Parts: sequence; structure tokens; C-alpha cells
Amino acid sequence: MPVVKLFANLRKLAGKKELSVTGTTLGVVVHELVQRHPPVGEVILQNGELGPHIVVTLNGHNIMDLETPVMEQDVIAIFPPIAGG
Amino acid sequence: MAGWSEKILDIDLNTQTYKTYPLDMEMAQLFIGGRGLGARLLWDMVGPEVDPLSPENVLIFTNGPLTGTGYQTSNRFSVTTKSPLTGTVLDANSGGFWGMQFKKAGYDVMIVRGKSAKPIWIEIKNDVITFHDASELWGMRVFELTQKLGQNNNRRNVLCIGPAGEKLSRIAAIMNDRERSLARGGPGAVMGSKNLKAIVVEGKDRPAIEDPDRFKFMLYETRKLLAASPLTSQALPEFGTVVLMNIMNNIGALATRNHQQTQFEGAEAISGEELTEKYLVKNSSCWACPIGCTRVSKTEKVEGEGPEFESTWAFGAQCAIDNLPAIIEVNALCNDLGIDTISAGSTIACAMELSEKGYLDSDLRFGRADQLAPTVEAMAYRRDIGAELADGSLRFATKYGHPELSMSAKGLEMPAYDPRGMQGQGLLYATSNRGGCHMRGNMVGLEVLGLPKLIDRFQVQGKSSFVILHQNISAAIDSLVICKFTNMGVAEEYFARVLSAVTGIKYATGDMIKAGERVWNLEKLYNLREGFSREDDTLPPRLLNEAPTDGPSKGWVSQLEPMLKEYYRGRGWDENGVPAQKKLEELGLMNLM
Repeated sequence: MPVVKLFANLRKLAGKKELSVTGTTLGVVVHELVQRHPPVGEVILQNGELGPHIVVTLNGHNIMDLETPVMEQDVIAIFPPIAGG
Repeated sequence: MAGWSEKILDIDLNTQTYKTYPLDMEMAQLFIGGRGLGARLLWDMVGPEVDPLSPENVLIFTNGPLTGTGYQTSNRFSVTTKSPLTGTVLDANSGGFWGMQFKKAGYDVMIVRGKSAKPIWIEIKNDVITFHDASELWGMRVFELTQKLGQNNNRRNVLCIGPAGEKLSRIAAIMNDRERSLARGGPGAVMGSKNLKAIVVEGKDRPAIEDPDRFKFMLYETRKLLAASPLTSQALPEFGTVVLMNIMNNIGALATRNHQQTQFEGAEAISGEELTEKYLVKNSSCWACPIGCTRVSKTEKVEGEGPEFESTWAFGAQCAIDNLPAIIEVNALCNDLGIDTISAGSTIACAMELSEKGYLDSDLRFGRADQLAPTVEAMAYRRDIGAELADGSLRFATKYGHPELSMSAKGLEMPAYDPRGMQGQGLLYATSNRGGCHMRGNMVGLEVLGLPKLIDRFQVQGKSSFVILHQNISAAIDSLVICKFTNMGVAEEYFARVLSAVTGIKYATGDMIKAGERVWNLEKLYNLREGFSREDDTLPPRLLNEAPTDGPSKGWVSQLEPMLKEYYRGRGWDENGVPAQKKLEELGLMNLM
């Protein structure tokens, strides 16, 4: 089952740092995640799509397309808008 | 003309005298202020014959037309000098309160020349300039000195050096308002070489604004934009800059163990999330800043501002240390001693690698948190091995026969972002006029965070155009002078509009960015005059030849050469990186040649 890692204030909203989520595409995984933790959805989704400045990586590579397939052993990381330098 | 005080304060420490004279307003309009104006003045005053630590070098403190106006983040100022670390043109930039106070004292520029025969500090109360004996203050650390000289955030502000500057450490910072720093490239050593311990400013004049109604409207607009942006209203205030630790590690671009790896197994333990949960006391902010990214953190031993992301990385991942309290404490120690955290951490990491490989006889080892504070102390006071570490990683690694183990560009230690995982960042470091620096353009935004839009971080072709644009914008913002974080919520267009409102001169966005390009080219000309060449626009061999063996950046090295060729073409420079006559004519720089 793919593992979803959450960062910054998403951890507080979900009450955990990571969780396993069923799904064969990134979109399905994200949908399942926000079903379980609606406050996370309020931050990361806008009209059903990833909101501006939301960073999602699949095994460390930035992904924008929710149709991207995901595999059992994949690690998905989701970051709310963050900045720094 | 509103926006500028139109006045230069010129101090000669040889004679402890000063004079004031008008600022060349044609020059001011072309180079704006801050970094740009500083570079233009340095061009005339300090040539290749000048040793950076000799009395002939100068410190040029500058503010900009927006400084002190009350525009959001208009607290910043610059110091320009020839760097004792790199030999390049150097501009270091700081926030806090001192810059605002300096503007209120009625000057755009303060030039400090010569060398005092004995330790001295200077007090500025508008037109009254007083030279004080600093013999009893020499040796004092920054926090005690700042308090002793009467730091009061909104009324009286202290800028000073600590022991590292006195001992002429080439990575010494100038500190202001206790914990703010003009950090990079060793300006603290230049101040120390002049026997100048501190400059205290009390100003009483509010900067003039040409069109107050339009300015108020711009304040209102900017406030709305900063509040609407999740970056400036939530991300930076809630987690500070250290929140970048996990994402850089996640994508495999977090330099680790002196850039031997691109991921750190202890990143979570030194992350912004960890800092916020366990050590954050409160947020803090610079003058006129509604963002408030500063973290005040506390351990059993210290309480103070920081650490920022780069400092946390330098003493953390770069030294393979996952002990956050130790990092918070060594960050505070660096502030108290007046030493650049990025260069200090990366120099220690370089020594750790030299030791582990048997090139250096020392007990420094990766992962040894207990070694951080004693080593930094030794650097600041030039004791034991610190005597050599105090001059940065390149001189140190060269002395021990392995200059390739210095993770620096032009001798300035690079920050956290590993160019093997971010191709544009590598080009940015290699071409930065002050050496390996992340503040000369924001490729992290583009290549990682999607600010304003995500681009492929491994893409090589076409990357130079982004780097050039962001370098020019960065030079313009550094000349206004405001904080670059404002640009995360507010587009450049607004800065041009507020600059027009303050000065009464019509600046289009393109005019302002063109001024940034002018500054960038002038800095390049300065370095060429100093003898720098195409060979210096490079990265450490490790980043060009050694690919990570695992993680998301596995198999990648920096593809610098093709990007550099494209970059020179895009800049209108020849194949050796020399600005062509046509470009200099376009920028109004021909009179310098």
C-alpha cells in the first residue's frame, strides 16, 4: 500500500505524520486521504485539483498530474505552501 | 528628491574626521540604492591593488529609497566592500532595525575609510558624529556590547563586530540589533581591520515621500496581498525558513556530509516541524514587517533568534549532526561571536571530511555535536585548529592539499541546496558575483516549491533564462532595499509602483529590473577587473563529477558547462563571460571602461 507522508501544518490537521492509503493513481490516493482527513483537503485541494503552491512528490520527484499511477511500495510526500531561504 | 536623503557621510578613521557631501542623483537613479549604489561607489574607490584587510579598503553602508518609509519590510540595508574571503565585490544585506534608523539619520550612504590607531566606536545622531574610545569594549561579545551601547529597537540601534571580526576571521560577520547579521564574505574582518568596534545610530527624520496618497494606497494593496498569500501569511510565520529541511531532503537535494550525499537520515530531527514543536518560544519580526518569519527558540542553555534554515543545515546535515538543541546553541554562539553560520558550519564539515580521510590530524568527525561549539569558539578567537579554520574552507582545504574538498564557489561556502538535484541552482552558485550564494536569485522557488510555477529541476536547456531573470530581480530588490520574502506574495510590478510613489520618478517594472541587470553587470566588471575569469564561474569538482549513488538525484551531476554557455549568451557576454560593448552601452556602463 502506498505511504503518504505529511509535512508542516498537514500533520496537525491529520493528527499524524504518515499513513498508508490505498490507490492506484495519485488522484485516488489523495481522494482517500482527504476523505479520512477532511481538514487536509481544505488546505491542499482547490476545486478538486491540487491548490497553488501545494508540492507533491512521488519517491522524491515532483508530481503535478493526479492521473500519475502509484505502486504498492511508493512514497508520496505532500507539503502545504512553504517557503524559506 | 524624495526617497533619497541626497547625502553621503564620509568618515576617515585615520584622522577621526568626517565630511558630508551630496549624493550624485544621476547615479542614484541608475543604481537606486543599497547593493547597486554600493557597487557603483566601490568601483571608483577600491581597485585591484587594494588588499581587502588594508586601510585602503572601505566599508560602504547604504540604504535605499524605500528604507525607513514604512513600506512592508523596508527595514533592510547593505554593506559593500571588497571581500577578504573571496576577493570579489561583496554586498551583505541585513534586516532588523538599524537600517531604518540609519535612513532616519539623514544619509543614503556612509563610507568608512582608513584605520583608527586604536579601537574606536562611532555614534551618529543625525548631523552630530562622535568618535568614542573603544579600548575597553575590544574583546567584548556581541550580545553584551549591544546592550551596553544602549540598543533600543525603535530609537537607538547598535551595529558591531564580535571577537571573530577583531581577530580578522575572513568569515566574520557584522552584527546589528543583537542577532541580525551582514554575514557573508567576511565584512566583519574588514571592520576589525579598521579597529572599528561599533556604529550606533539614532535618527530623527522621517524619510520624505513624494506622493503620500499613492504610497498609502500601495501600503494597503501590499498588506492585502501579503495577507492573501499562504506563503507570507501562513507558511513563513508558522514554521519559519527551517521548514525547507524536509522537502530538500525528500527530493534528494539536501547537501549532506560536506556534499558527499544528497540526503540526510537525521533531517526530520532538525526540521522546522521539530523546531516549532519543541523549541519555539515565539515569532519575531523586523521593523515594518507583517510576515514575522523570525523564530525565537530556547534550549536549556540559550534563548534567542533563529536558527534559520541555512544555519540549521550548515551545522546539521552538512556536519551530519541531528542534535537540534546543539544547533540552536551554536547558532546563538555564532551570533554572539559575530561569525557567518553558513561558512562556519561548512568549514567545519570540510575539516571533518579531511580528518576522516586522514588528510588532517584532528579528532573532528561527522556527527559529533559536542565538537560544534568548541570549534566555533576556537575559530572566533583563532585558537588551535580554529586559527586556520577562521579563514574559511577553501584556504583550509588548500593548506592540507585538498582544495577540492572545499564546498565553495569563488571561495564562498555554498548553502544547503545541492546543485546535483537542482541544475539551475548550480548555475546560480557558479555565476554569483559574490560566490556561492542562494540570495542572488530564487531557483528553489522555481525548481522545488513551484513559486511562481514549477519547472523541471533536472532540465538543463533553457534554465539559464530563469537564472538571469531572477538574478536581475534579486539585484533590484537588494537595491530598493526590501526583504525578498515580500516578493513571495507581491509581484515586482508593485515594487516599481511604490518606488515611483516614493521618489516621484516614473519607474516601470522593466526599468527596475533593468537597474538590477545594470548592477549585476557592474559587479561582473568589478570581478573581471580583479582578475576573475571564466575559470572562476565554476563549482567544486565533486558536484561536476560525483553523482549520488542513491535517492531521487541518483546519477545526476551538475551539467554546468552547457548552462554556462547559454547563460553567457543570454547575458549578452562573450564566450569568456565578458560583457560585450553593446550590452554595456545598453546599460549605460560604457563610461566605466
